[in-house]
Amino acid sequence: MSNAPAEEQRAVAHLDHGGGGTRGARIRFWVTAALGWGVIAYGLRGMLHHHIDTRPPNLARFVIGGALIHDLVFAPLVLVVGVLVARAVPGRVRAIVQGALIVSGCLALFSYPLVRGFGHAAHNPSSLPHNYTANLGVALGVVWGVATLLAVLALRRRSRSCSRDSRPGPA
Amino acid sequence: MSKITTADLEEAPLATLQRLTTDPDQPLHQGPYTSPLRDERLAAILGAALGILFTICFITGLYSHLHQHPLSWLPVPSRPAGLFRFTQGLHVVSGIASLPVLLAKLWVVWPRFVSFPPVRRLTDLVERIGLFPLVAGGIFMVFSGIANIAQWYPWHFGFPAAHYWMAWVTMGAIGAHLGAKWLIARRALARPSRRPALAEPDPILGTVAEEVHDGLSRRGLLTTVAASAGALTLLTIGQTFRPLRRLALLAPRDPQVGPSGRPVNRSAANAGVLRSASSRDYRLQVTGNVTRAQSLDLAQLQAMAVHEAVLPIACVEGWSYSARWKGVRLRDLLDLAGAPPGATAHVVSLEANSPYRVSYLDRDQAHDPDTLLATHLDGAPLVPDHGAPLRLIGPGRPGVTQTKWVTMVVVG
Repeated sequence: MSNAPAEEQRAVAHLDHGGGGTRGARIRFWVTAALGWGVIAYGLRGMLHHHIDTRPPNLARFVIGGALIHDLVFAPLVLVVGVLVARAVPGRVRAIVQGALIVSGCLALFSYPLVRGFGHAAHNPSSLPHNYTANLGVALGVVWGVATLLAVLALRRRSRSCSRDSRPGPA
Repeated sequence: MSKITTADLEEAPLATLQRLTTDPDQPLHQGPYTSPLRDERLAAILGAALGILFTICFITGLYSHLHQHPLSWLPVPSRPAGLFRFTQGLHVVSGIASLPVLLAKLWVVWPRFVSFPPVRRLTDLVERIGLFPLVAGGIFMVFSGIANIAQWYPWHFGFPAAHYWMAWVTMGAIGAHLGAKWLIARRALARPSRRPALAEPDPILGTVAEEVHDGLSRRGLLTTVAASAGALTLLTIGQTFRPLRRLALLAPRDPQVGPSGRPVNRSAANAGVLRSASSRDYRLQVTGNVTRAQSLDLAQLQAMAVHEAVLPIACVEGWSYSARWKGVRLRDLLDLAGAPPGATAHVVSLEANSPYRVSYLDRDQAHDPDTLLATHLDGAPLVPDHGAPLRLIGPGRPGVTQTKWVTMVVVG
């Protein structure tokens, strides 16, 4: 029953020295599991104890909801975008497009509450002082400007190396 | 292509499920989701980076918590005066930078959610259960932190308490996860960083369709994640790091925009103190454990306000600025009222309905020569939004405890 995880056993086989073997891995697994779950229990106890501030039912909705939205909506969406990029973007510039999409996605996710202005407070001139839609546009413009530059360089490098050396080979 | 028939389903549902998830032709098989990028090494590198960022957030977060919920046996240092500004700036910077790292890490391990069978032995079960606080906790910490600095509160719970207790849950889960993955991570990180052979075409991710070099390599993905974290940092850090102020396009505050050219979190109007703070009947009461209780009007306070100090004000939400403050030393007020040596103090605001109405100063903080009840900011009289007629400003304290619109000092 209490064997080390299968992955760990495979890992042990690959290690030349140290690590303590499966027995060591088993002990480490259960010791860290006990300590980790102890800390988790401390957090949960504190959350329930301070229930007037933490409102556990509402908090649970956000904690569980966040994980579900990620796993069932966000992650599959990223996969679909990945498939579309693989189909539509030529291989020579695909890495650059993927990179630019990832950076753009992170900037957009972070700025979403700013762009929507959820936190804007009336009667407070320092509250969300910028035009975040325009600023996000500028940031995305820079990202895609850099991406375009890199793509042009990649295409040129490719065509130059092709004209100099007609043999097919790794770039 | 093997197709599932109705007969199969009727005969042995478990066997059917097993075939659905292990047969390479079936949709639930892990094969279609794998990418040459999804390997132990990438997972380990991203996990290590995330572990470091979360640990920085946790330690600096505990420090901030200790400031706001002081323990009598563990006094917090008030010097250096910029310490809290640094730790809280680091907390917010690390939290923002962990957004792309967290998303990339979850992307790498996502197919494991659909792996079958999910559990082979007891340790798998324990590890799987621990993934919930790990993943849900990580997502919650980053989401709630980013929403909070944008002052977006789509929830009903109190942010500081929820963020604090969920941090313990998340860190506990990280500890257990680290123990379970120790050998794998060690092996993955120790191996020479050779890119694995990208021989298999991947129809889902498009990493290797026709050529080895199409799509992001592992190093390319890591560079992209680092670039995302770097871009988010560059576009926000100017809210606390002055030289990069002009780059702070996505920062929720600008250290030079606001009343008197300085930001505030809560204006006098929103705190409901416009009338009481400008009333002619305004008095500062010094009461509690004193021999000569004081009730001082504005003219008396102005006459005493001669001490100057350059101190930062650092909001827990990550913005800060340094300014020249002028006002009455708190320790002079304590002496005037005949407080015992080594007395502590509670400073009370006119703002009625705020969890930060009362601010506590331990002995060192109360007697620090730079702890002021300020009347002036950068040489000009305080405006109501900055806490006029009187605000607390002391070295090394979080902004939320630098109480504005002070009306009473209760000596302990």
